[in-house]
Amino acid sequence: MVDNTVAIAISMADVRAMLPELFLLAAAFTILMADLFIAQAQRSVTHWLAIASLLLTGALVWRASGDDSLARSAFGGMYIADQVAAVCKLFILGSTLLAYVYARPHLKPRGLFQGEFYTLTLFAVIGMMLLVSAGNLLSAYLGLEMLALCSYALVALNRDSPLSSEAAMKYFVLGALASGLLLYGMSMVYGATGSLDLGGIRAMSSSNLLHPDLLVFGLVFIVVGIAFKFGAAPFHAWVPDVYQGSPTGVTLFVASAPKVAAFGMAYRLLDNGFGTPALWPNWAAMLSVLAVLSLVIGNVVAIAQTNLKRMLAYSTVSHVGFLLLGIIGGGADGFAASLFYATTYSITVVAAFGLIVLLSRAGFEAEEIDDFRGLNQRSPFHAFLMLVVMASFAGVPLFVGFLAKLQVLKAVIRADALWLAIVGGLCAVVGAFYYLRVIKVMYFDKPVADAPVLGATDAGFRLVLSGNVLALIALGIFGGPLLTWCMRAVAAS
Amino acid sequence: MTFEALLFYFFAAVMVAASLAVVTLRNPVHCALSLVLTFFTCACLWLLLRAEFLAIALVLVYVGAVMVLFLFVVMMLDIKTLPGREGFTSYLPAGLVVATVMLAELIGLMGARKLMQGGPVRDAATEQGLSNTEWLGRALFSDYILPFEIAAVILTVAIVAAVALTLRRRPNVRTQDPAQQAATRKQDRLRLVDLPHHDGSKQA
Amino acid sequence: MITLGHYLVLGAILFCVSVAGIFINRKNVIILLMALELMLLAVNMNFVAFSAFLGDAAGQIFVFFILTVAAAESAIGLAILVLLFRNRATINVEELDTMKG
Repeated sequence: MVDNTVAIAISMADVRAMLPELFLLAAAFTILMADLFIAQAQRSVTHWLAIASLLLTGALVWRASGDDSLARSAFGGMYIADQVAAVCKLFILGSTLLAYVYARPHLKPRGLFQGEFYTLTLFAVIGMMLLVSAGNLLSAYLGLEMLALCSYALVALNRDSPLSSEAAMKYFVLGALASGLLLYGMSMVYGATGSLDLGGIRAMSSSNLLHPDLLVFGLVFIVVGIAFKFGAAPFHAWVPDVYQGSPTGVTLFVASAPKVAAFGMAYRLLDNGFGTPALWPNWAAMLSVLAVLSLVIGNVVAIAQTNLKRMLAYSTVSHVGFLLLGIIGGGADGFAASLFYATTYSITVVAAFGLIVLLSRAGFEAEEIDDFRGLNQRSPFHAFLMLVVMASFAGVPLFVGFLAKLQVLKAVIRADALWLAIVGGLCAVVGAFYYLRVIKVMYFDKPVADAPVLGATDAGFRLVLSGNVLALIALGIFGGPLLTWCMRAVAAS
Repeated sequence: MTFEALLFYFFAAVMVAASLAVVTLRNPVHCALSLVLTFFTCACLWLLLRAEFLAIALVLVYVGAVMVLFLFVVMMLDIKTLPGREGFTSYLPAGLVVATVMLAELIGLMGARKLMQGGPVRDAATEQGLSNTEWLGRALFSDYILPFEIAAVILTVAIVAAVALTLRRRPNVRTQDPAQQAATRKQDRLRLVDLPHHDGSKQA
Repeated sequence: MITLGHYLVLGAILFCVSVAGIFINRKNVIILLMALELMLLAVNMNFVAFSAFLGDAAGQIFVFFILTVAAAESAIGLAILVLLFRNRATINVEELDTMKG
């Protein structure tokens, strides 16, 4: 006689360990329901509720990261709450919050200021939080899909725009293809090790494998899947179309927080899962090719762009190349450098798109580089903000982008891959060219006769944006604590 | 050749043929129906692997729901306006070469020859005196409870997203409001008037 | 005797048919989506086969979740497709070239 009772295994310790996610989930469902009863005129209530829930979730993550009484892994290793996860989550929440503040003035006049934007982004944030905390191939896959499904819908949110639906279709097809490749790799890894648990895979891969050939074979597909999700060349085809095609309010979100989440996924899979000394050369070699291609293609193609959103998309591809350089470096230093790069990049890129929103207004998108002609004469302060963002992207000393690039290059040199550091350095110089072009257009070109005035944004928006941009300088000069934090997080995990 | 091997080769042949039909037929409805056949034979193969629960789930979820959705969309998009397959043949040789080379590489890399010397299927569920469904259910609701809950959220997200993308409120469409209809009172619709008789006198 | 290798080769064939399908279908997004479903089927085939030959439940559990997520995914994919058809009156992949550079 078989015992027919099955205990549903949720312990209080498990629930406490993932309290931030559970809180945000409850908040997302509350907002989903509450929004139905809110009239369009009062839609700001949804906005503030969403911001408040992000802030509270951030506080919970912060508190949990310092509380040693909490379990570091829950649900049988399915969920991991270590320091790397905490850093990633805080920056995911922070850049989403900034995206909310910057998106509102853009969405409002275009009839896109709807509850769906907030619920879908909140669910995407939950997906990202689960992804960076994944301790198992299954929870990584589910977190990734939750993020991806929300992103596809967000890109298509402007339902009457042919451009948006075209971008969403491309994003969907390539995203689904990437998931398919990633899953094919996961199935091979499962067959080779007999385990879905990342810790178990790591333990198995350094000892007795069931089918050793299958492991490396699966690893190839997993690396390709990660590259697709990162938007690394040659799997970057969706990036420019999605950046250009989606409403700027959505681009703000899609371009920033998911990059931190992608780093989290790479860290979980490549360090926690395949971080053994025997497997490292396999994936590091593949990533080197991807990194070099991303750096070269991203920087060279960006020079030819006239659309600023598209230029930033190609510049993203090149930044992903830098991010991968740190991961190739491997070890605690390499991953810490990449984590620093990912987090600082997320707040830089969100500021860049925020500045595009600042210049746009109903019926005018301020997407072309020419729209920024002579901005210095119209509004010196905003031209200065754009100058800071571009300088940080280019990696000019004193700005945070420089510090991030320096760390990554150091990590690569430490891993004896000097040639990669040289390629990275050269590409940074090429990259500086198109960032400087934007600065030249703003400061030395004459504004066109009917130059648009700045869009209508409130004082809060301008304050947050200025604070965001000034943080890029502050972090560039006093970036030590954040860097130490990243290093400690990776070393402790 | 055992009976089981015979079944395997039969189902495998049907499945590969059906999957080729999916990517080569001209009419999208035929493609969708071939995909149904592919899923169905795949379910039969899973039965050979003693994965009964998933075989049934595949038929119910895919053949029953997902493919109906596909067919619905194909019909809705008005097949006459759908593009044909001109230019299809120009990609065919390249596609064939890529697929064949890839297949050879995949099989070579995974060491299929070596894997073909393994043992038979291990029916772990029966070893423990459980049915396949019960065996999966026990794992699902103990070790995999977190993914189960996440999957529930994902399904909610899919509903929210699909509704957000396709539900449109058209201002010019006249619709009925049943609540309003039911709430009407006689006084709102009916007015009793006294009409004068043709001779001018009022009725008593 | 039918072994793990047989099922894996079958999965690899399905995978290649699906990649070829994505390659040769430049005219119709719906068939592209069907080819993606084939790719997931190849993955599921691998997982079920490994699970059966290892005698481990995890692989079949994973397939359960892939089926769930794939159903959600195709619902969103078809919603985007309907939107695209409404806005552009085409689902031809080659005509989706508004954005360039």
